[in-house]
Amino acid sequence: MTEIHPTSETLEHFVLGQLPALEMREIARHLLTGCLRCQEVMAGLWEPGDELEDLLAAGEIEAIDMEDGVRDAYDEVLDRVFFKVVAAEAVIDEQRAAGRKLFGELMQLPPARRHLLACNSNRFKDRMLCECLIHEGHEAGFDDPQRAIDIAQLGTLVADRLEAEDCDGEEGLNSLRARAWAQLGNAFRVSFQLASAERAFAVAESLLDEGCIALLDKARVLDLLASLRIGQRRFAEAHQLLDRAAFIYRKLGQWNLLGRMLLQKAVVCGEAGDGEGEMTLLRRGLDLIDPQADPRVFLMARHNLINALHESGRSREAFALLFHTRPLYLKAGDRVSLLRLRWLEGLVAFGLQRIEQAEVAFREVREGFGELDLDYDAALASLDLAGVYIAQGRTHDVRRIAEETLAVFQARNTHQEAMAALLVFSDAARLDRAELELVREVSGFLKRVRSNPDLRFSAPS
Amino acid sequence: MSALDQPQVALSSLEGFLSQVRPRLKVLFAYYKIPSQDTEDILQQALLALLYRYDGVRDPEAWLLGTLRNKCLLYWRQRRRALYEAVDTAVLERMAEPQPPAQEGADLRSDLANALESVPPRCRSLLRLRFRQGYGRPELAERLGYSPASISKITTRCLDALTRFLVQAGGRRKKAEHD
Repeated sequence: MTEIHPTSETLEHFVLGQLPALEMREIARHLLTGCLRCQEVMAGLWEPGDELEDLLAAGEIEAIDMEDGVRDAYDEVLDRVFFKVVAAEAVIDEQRAAGRKLFGELMQLPPARRHLLACNSNRFKDRMLCECLIHEGHEAGFDDPQRAIDIAQLGTLVADRLEAEDCDGEEGLNSLRARAWAQLGNAFRVSFQLASAERAFAVAESLLDEGCIALLDKARVLDLLASLRIGQRRFAEAHQLLDRAAFIYRKLGQWNLLGRMLLQKAVVCGEAGDGEGEMTLLRRGLDLIDPQADPRVFLMARHNLINALHESGRSREAFALLFHTRPLYLKAGDRVSLLRLRWLEGLVAFGLQRIEQAEVAFREVREGFGELDLDYDAALASLDLAGVYIAQGRTHDVRRIAEETLAVFQARNTHQEAMAALLVFSDAARLDRAELELVREVSGFLKRVRSNPDLRFSAPS
Repeated sequence: MSALDQPQVALSSLEGFLSQVRPRLKVLFAYYKIPSQDTEDILQQALLALLYRYDGVRDPEAWLLGTLRNKCLLYWRQRRRALYEAVDTAVLERMAEPQPPAQEGADLRSDLANALESVPPRCRSLLRLRFRQGYGRPELAERLGYSPASISKITTRCLDALTRFLVQAGGRRKKAEHD
């Protein structure tokens, strides 16, 4: 065998793994003898490392050599593919419109009927309907968490019925299914149903492990899973997931999404008590977010930065940034955004010792959230208001606030540990021993336990 | 890069977009040495995925080039599997031959020893156990302390290192002589 060398063509097929198994083995055996001649032929056939990005960045891409024959062969392929894709564009637009129509039709039906059709009707076994359900499920999460769960559940039902040929192959199908399940997990997370969120994400993760998934969709799953891990205070895992997602977004040149990743990482830093790291990441993230294209994300990042500045005692800077950010809240215009603005104004005013302004703001926020039946947020605002009363020495008002808040929580059968924390505060208020430090501890605990019900409150000594 | 520097490429005209990216696509496929006959599926799949997801993609050109780079790397990874299996089986069969001619057997052992010197130390231990003592993957995992789930990936990585040596040694030698 060592005397007979395979032809260049055979060696090329060998490198591409395109020969029959027996022939592949024969050549491998030949190479093991260290045949210099064959190695020299094959050295040029091995693919290059992944250094294209460096060439692109250095503007040297045109320097890559290409023989005329190779260029012509690629031109032929590109012509053929472009022709097919241009023809497909109109078809895809029609499919998208049909998907939206199906969504509208489905959502007009009673929930049980929707479920039945998503599970059984061939008309609703549609890729674009599934895309629509994923998108709408995400949007609903901002206003109506239960609706978000319902829509996302329909998304998984439709996704699981689709087949590879419905999605241009296995990759398209796996990517869609992974996104649908991750969206459902996220919808559960937003409503603090963490066990259900975990189960949905387990399906999405198994799809990442098993199948070939488009990069952008993989990053999306990692991104949403990181949000769950942050809520569960599993920061190291969240950090890893965010790094993986950020790597993909960078690779795909999706800077806006990379910016979002940095904002998520800022949350991790903030939760871990690294205020400086949090602010650095928020600024870097804000630099990548386009306020025109992503106004909601931009506003959320600014909100978090103002809050971080306030928390780190830099209330003057927080005040200045709040002044410039106010128009964005007003532009958002929804009631919750405006209440969050008012809340932040109260916090910054309190930080600047403008106690009366803070009191008015916290009272408004408390009432506003109460009117929207967002009792948990109302309770948090109540604690801030209690802080103002403590600073003013108004023990009677502190007692009143503590009792009212506790009564609301008792009536709503709120989480036991949250209740335990409020009871500690309420007892202290009854004995006129509530201090600002206790208010901060209880408020901080209520924020954390909301997304992580396994936490236990330990009363400060 | 700040938000203001980011290219705002809308997919307003598909044909315009395609002619804009055409030169870069050719360079990309040439760079990764993808045979032209295999380019069609890769490109078509990526472009259709872009059309289906265009609303979620802010910069279509960057997305397309990034996606295609990944697909080119996957293309080679899939092709390599057959190659690794061939090398693995060839070495195992050769080592297991009951009575190879004495000189031939010694040459093989010496060639293999040379090749193994070129791979990272972690792979060297794994491949020695595999080829000299015929360890299967579960035994390798147990012996070297890897989880059963990860041993396949690690073995593939090690076979990749060995195969690269077998295929590219000539190129390296040539380069060394030239230098």
